[in-house]
Amino acid sequence: MIDVILQAFASIVLDPVTLGLMFVGTLAGILAGAIPGFTIAMGVILTLPFTFGMTAVQGLATMLGVFVGGFSGGLMSCMLTGIPGTPSSVATTFDGFPLVRSGRPGLALGLGLWSSFFGGMISAVILVALAPQLAFLGLEFGPWDYFSLIIFALTITVSLSGGNITKGLIAGLLGLFAATVGEDEINGVARFTFGFDDFKQGFAFLPVLIGLFAFSQLLTDVEDDKRAKSPLMSQSGTVVKVEHRQAILIILKRWVNLFRSSFIGIFTGILPAAGGSISNILAYDQAKKASPNRSNFGKGEYDGVIAPEAANNATAGGALIMMMALGIPGDIVTAVMLGALMIHNIIPGPTFIQDEPLLAYGVFIAFFVAHFFMVGLQAFSLRIFLLVTKIPMYVLASVILAYCAIGVFALHNIVFDIWVMFFFGVIGYFMKKLGFPLAPMILGVVLGKLAELNLARATGISDDMLLFISRPWSLFFLLMAVISVIFPFYQEAKKETLFAKLYVPVSMIVLSLPLFLMGSPVRMIVAAILVLTGAYFLYKRTSSFKTT
Amino acid sequence: MSINKDVIVAIFLLLFCGIMINSSFDIEDPGYQGMKASFWPTIVLCLLSVMSLIMLIKSMVSPTDNNLNSENKNSQNIFLKYKNASICFLMFILFLAFLDYLGMLIGGVLFVFGLLTLLGGFEIKKIIKHSIISIITIGIMWSIFTFGLKVILPEGEILRIW
Repeated sequence: MIDVILQAFASIVLDPVTLGLMFVGTLAGILAGAIPGFTIAMGVILTLPFTFGMTAVQGLATMLGVFVGGFSGGLMSCMLTGIPGTPSSVATTFDGFPLVRSGRPGLALGLGLWSSFFGGMISAVILVALAPQLAFLGLEFGPWDYFSLIIFALTITVSLSGGNITKGLIAGLLGLFAATVGEDEINGVARFTFGFDDFKQGFAFLPVLIGLFAFSQLLTDVEDDKRAKSPLMSQSGTVVKVEHRQAILIILKRWVNLFRSSFIGIFTGILPAAGGSISNILAYDQAKKASPNRSNFGKGEYDGVIAPEAANNATAGGALIMMMALGIPGDIVTAVMLGALMIHNIIPGPTFIQDEPLLAYGVFIAFFVAHFFMVGLQAFSLRIFLLVTKIPMYVLASVILAYCAIGVFALHNIVFDIWVMFFFGVIGYFMKKLGFPLAPMILGVVLGKLAELNLARATGISDDMLLFISRPWSLFFLLMAVISVIFPFYQEAKKETLFAKLYVPVSMIVLSLPLFLMGSPVRMIVAAILVLTGAYFLYKRTSSFKTT
Repeated sequence: MSINKDVIVAIFLLLFCGIMINSSFDIEDPGYQGMKASFWPTIVLCLLSVMSLIMLIKSMVSPTDNNLNSENKNSQNIFLKYKNASICFLMFILFLAFLDYLGMLIGGVLFVFGLLTLLGGFEIKKIIKHSIISIITIGIMWSIFTFGLKVILPEGEILRIW
């Protein structure tokens, strides 16, 4: 084991090429996160074509640099201009911007930067400790369980992506359908090709992803003529000296907030589809509730900067846990990384850490190293950021559209892929206009083949479809899928209604059933706790319902 | 009952499902044991049909503010709203259509220049700026992919003739 870790360490830290790529990746990530209209996911997606020529370790290390850099990049724009660069830094604006306006920009940036660093480090430790354990748990999964897990990943993406649940489900199903076009992997039979030879290979993952996510986003960015022609930011801010020492001392004094926010971030990251955009607001909210200086929030409170920044960087580690341990992407970024691994003929799953230990530990180490790059590059990237903000959006969009075409072509050296990207770009653009969330569709495309493969394996082993509900893990994930589909209705329901009062306790009791069926003592204890807590809530809520 | 965007989208989706379910009957069955190639897509399409039907019913029953009639009145606004996106679509189609002839280098430069000028404006100063941007950015990208990543980008007939 130590040998593997040392080798992985050497492949990242002692390889100047990998370090150089991570340097560039982190810088690009900071800039992508800082520019409003660009997201971290877009940064990682656009990095993918460059990684084709790299080894799998180098490719993933570069993308991790973009991923980690992106989270901290968002804090620059939100603090210096009051405009969040990414959705994951929205809550940082609440106290970061007032702190800057009160004359402490160096401290504000320092707090954000070091909170991101510490949050990332905590999640990195949890990632290293938890991913292998979760992977062991994943070894218990049969194809039935895996299929149900994918269904759960899709339904929770739909319910957390916001908006209309019907549209979310339609988007997810469209993604699953797009993955069926071409020769199927089980029988080698052509499907929905309509006589076109190019269709036989199916829609490659990268063109679909770039089309749906990047292409459609760029079209949206240039939609408003006036905004497209003006510089990216009207208020561009100035270069400030980051107060590192004081920021570190303040954060360490508030370690409870740091740890609480980091754990919120990790947990949110582990949930499929719940990314930094949710964790930063959740952590801010909890920090505000727990703080004795609640009235200072919104006026430049230190805890209000520490919480969202620690949480959003910790989310990255959480999302990686799911991808590394089970091969299920925690968000769009890890979905892209999953795609990158597939390009290198590596299929992530529960055996990934055992089968590819060098690569797996390489990812762990790269995640650590990326945080050091992030801190080191912040001052330098601030200067570049101020230059980039002077460029109008239409210039960036035009150049990136051309880059998308070149990058997509590089995948298989065929023009058909560029047409696919264009086609899905148009679809993505109109889906966004019509209120369809894109995240479920992207996950549908990524997980579609995996879902079909596991369904085929399950039906190949046994004709008994009841195994999907009689196997404890499969039942657990299917119940979670049902609960996640109902979740948006629970959010909308008024608190006084019977449905809103019953949702949580009934869900807890129902989920205990598969845990009881699993038989192991620890899971039985967890199930018993769930039943007792659920029953307590049920009693309390129904009795208060009767009295009202 | 009202006709709005969602009704049209739901009808379109139902038509799409109908066509695809119909073509799923043409999927060959090689006779191997196990799951047929048409099984999974049929399940997905059936679920998609059900969800589209739910969307259709929901959108017909619930009144929405994105009524088609009100949009028709503002057709000029709609044109302005989608003008830049339409320019991007058109330029990209032209870029792809002429890619075999112009190649990635020349085609890319022309695409970026054309798009920059159509979106940014036709003033002389801007045109000069756009041509410099397009040559430099595409030149750098082309060099990175050709020399750095060893990708053989489409050369284009025009360069082959020369």
